[in-house]
Amino acid sequence: MASKKLVTTMKEKAAAVQVIVSEVQNLEEAMAYAIDVTRNQGGASLAAPGWDEASRPALQAGCAQAGLALLGENLREHAGAIHTGLTRADWGIADTGTLVLDASSEDLRLATMLSETHIAVLPLSRLRATSMDLEPELNRLALAPPRYLSFITGASRTADIERVLTLGVHGPLELHLLLLKD
Amino acid sequence: MINTAQDLKEYKKRLKKALDNKFLRTAMGSFATAYKEAQGRLLAGMDVPALTREIAAGKDAALPRLEELYEAFKARAEAAGVKVHLAQTALEANEIIAGIARDRGVRKIVKSKSMTAEETFLNNHLENEGFEVVETDLGEWIIQLRHEGPSHMVLPAIHLSRQEVADLFSKMTGEPQEPDIGQLVKVARRELRKAFLEADMGISGANFAIAETGTLGIISNEGNARLTTTLPRVHVALVGLDKLIPDLATALRILKILPLKATGQVITSYVSWITGANECAPGPGGKKEMHVVFLDNGRLALAQDKVFSEALRCVRCGSCANVCPIYGLVGGHNYGHVYIGAIGLILTYFYHGRKNARAIVANCLNCQACKAVCPAGIDLPHLIKETYCQVLQGEEKQPLKNRLLRRVLKDRRLFHFLLRRASLVQKPLATQEGFLRHLPFFFGKEHEFRSLPVIARIPFRDLWPRLYQQVAKPRYRVALFGGCLVDFVYPEQGVALMKLMKDQKVQVEYPLGQTCCGLPAKMMGEKEVAREVALQNLAALDPADYDYILTLCASCGSHLKEAYPKLLAETPGAAVKVQQLLDKLMDFSSFFTRVLKVKPEMFKGSKKKVAYHSPCHLCRGLGVVQEPRELLATAGLEYLPARDEDTCCGMGGSFSAEFPELSAELLKKKLDAVAETGADLLVTDCPGCVLQLRGGMDKRGGKVKVKHIAEAVAEETN
Repeated sequence: MASKKLVTTMKEKAAAVQVIVSEVQNLEEAMAYAIDVTRNQGGASLAAPGWDEASRPALQAGCAQAGLALLGENLREHAGAIHTGLTRADWGIADTGTLVLDASSEDLRLATMLSETHIAVLPLSRLRATSMDLEPELNRLALAPPRYLSFITGASRTADIERVLTLGVHGPLELHLLLLKD
Repeated sequence: MINTAQDLKEYKKRLKKALDNKFLRTAMGSFATAYKEAQGRLLAGMDVPALTREIAAGKDAALPRLEELYEAFKARAEAAGVKVHLAQTALEANEIIAGIARDRGVRKIVKSKSMTAEETFLNNHLENEGFEVVETDLGEWIIQLRHEGPSHMVLPAIHLSRQEVADLFSKMTGEPQEPDIGQLVKVARRELRKAFLEADMGISGANFAIAETGTLGIISNEGNARLTTTLPRVHVALVGLDKLIPDLATALRILKILPLKATGQVITSYVSWITGANECAPGPGGKKEMHVVFLDNGRLALAQDKVFSEALRCVRCGSCANVCPIYGLVGGHNYGHVYIGAIGLILTYFYHGRKNARAIVANCLNCQACKAVCPAGIDLPHLIKETYCQVLQGEEKQPLKNRLLRRVLKDRRLFHFLLRRASLVQKPLATQEGFLRHLPFFFGKEHEFRSLPVIARIPFRDLWPRLYQQVAKPRYRVALFGGCLVDFVYPEQGVALMKLMKDQKVQVEYPLGQTCCGLPAKMMGEKEVAREVALQNLAALDPADYDYILTLCASCGSHLKEAYPKLLAETPGAAVKVQQLLDKLMDFSSFFTRVLKVKPEMFKGSKKKVAYHSPCHLCRGLGVVQEPRELLATAGLEYLPARDEDTCCGMGGSFSAEFPELSAELLKKKLDAVAETGADLLVTDCPGCVLQLRGGMDKRGGKVKVKHIAEAVAEETN
């Protein structure tokens, strides 16, 4: 279990880059959160690649009840129509507020890039202090290619016009982080 | 198209135009201020020097092994389904990439930012071959639409206003666009999303090529690099060989500081680590077709160069531009060819040739702000001067000032004779305040931004026999290294020093064989002359004879410290003497606070209000920051901090004569900041800065007196 200090640092650093941070007790709560956010933002669809089959029925039921389309595989076909991407984060790096995702699956990359809102669920047991602490794990993954690892810290941003910070130039306009107690 | 000035005359014309561009000046000015403020905040508590040393050492270890790292990367990546290419020249790289595009039936290409692709002018090549290429980084897209080169390595469109972008987007979309940044970004999102979905091929650069795993590391804020490497069926990465590093740990270490230095972020929004051909639905067999093209373009040879290999440590953060006072005045299009900023002045020569480097490389103050900020510890001002030296050697005709300097500076007697002669000639032109009434005919109007001092009637060396104090049982034996300005222009600074030394039981010597430290020669790219005078000074001041070598001139001191070891490294015996000299070298303020430990009782305690200018060569060159401020307090003066105290005053030795308009602007900023403090006296520790500041103050009719700290402190004694 991550220490209290580590969790506080993660929250602070993530919030510093405009990440919206919440805590959830279980997966059901995370799903309910994602459905809620999508509905509140007037979104119509949700993509949730990378979750195990067991969690699928609950998500399907939730989306159906909320009137949202749950997008299945091959998200390319839905490019431009993905409102929310709900994914897991494989690790968190507290000192930079970073999420680490093994995004080798194309759908996972698309859900985290083409969505308007990305909601990531991070089990607290996967939180580390620094990127250096993750180095052995990342190396192990890279040594078993193909591999596409992503560090994600806040929403897509630019300051290319007059150095004014603007979110959502290409990727998601919002990043939500749900810290899952496990 | 990029069109860099090829000669000084044209270059100066463009500098003038840039100085008149109000938007550019404001944008650059507010960027510089914001950057500095953020750096102070973000780096607090970090051991930046240690990290810099680690990064430098890591890069230095990798550079001699580039070929080996390349082979390792290639083996790993190819085993994971990637094709790895090595291009010796820029053209070859472009042809390889165009060939891949042709073979795979590519029509549309999206690109994420790559300085290496800018280096090879890849877009031009691909467009000439009939491919449609869209830059997807917002700033790069803007300059692509304007057919310009980047004006900053990280912020390529920093020279443009929102209005200019709105006009551009209106033209491009055929609909009127308001100058609202949020809306403009939305336009880009919409237009570029289409481009991503339609593209057959994505071209990226890479920040890291990790040999151990065959992994590319790409950092980006916008996320366009992730889309570029994900959506199209073909991905080609164009990577400079210098991006090869042994392992992930090395990359993570650089990542710790690169975003901080680049944009003041703890980390960029995205960092992608790509190993092998990943899943890609439209690709053959559901896999991405992936190529990595490594570019040599001189890098392998550069990596072996004893002097210049250091330039390959660069991690492309752009911070050397961010802190450069000249960049802050004239912007990137006037401060580099493709590569911008201090590193750009060097790389332009190697990657884009002497003609493109020849004018811009002269435009360096040697203020060392870049050297102090560089996360890879590159001695940028030194390499710029070395590049200047290379450029001059290639020129058919050497500038007159260089020919004169070669002739005169090596011969101390001739040099001093000419200075004495100048003093006689100037005599009728001297004002009461010691300025020249008007400038000699060969100075143009642009030099009139400051009054110039006259050469002293009696140089310090001639006063010396009268000033010499024999001390019976001295605590310390000290040699004064005067420097030309103290000796021949401001001997009163040396006189003030001797007044302060009275009763201190210090035996001061002024070895008369000493001559110019050689900095002016280095500034003008005359390395041989600099080496020769260094040897002469070393002969005049044998460190074995003294406990300390004291200097009143920060520029001389920093030149001795930084340049002598490099200049004399190959001269048998000299390196030892240089080291001994440096071990004993000390500036005035440090000597009085740290060695003599002067007490407030020695002074009147007048509480006179003083502002302080921190000379570049003192605070960065010699690393002395606290001591002068402490000394002012001890001497009973009330120190009023000013804005940007450690920013260059614009003197830069011969720089101010070569680029008077830039020098004048920097001086104005400095004097404005001093005026804001309400001080009656401006103090500094370098006679070069005194020359600039006093001359500028006189010209603007300012009431603030300008003095060397030795004079200011000597006047406060009881």
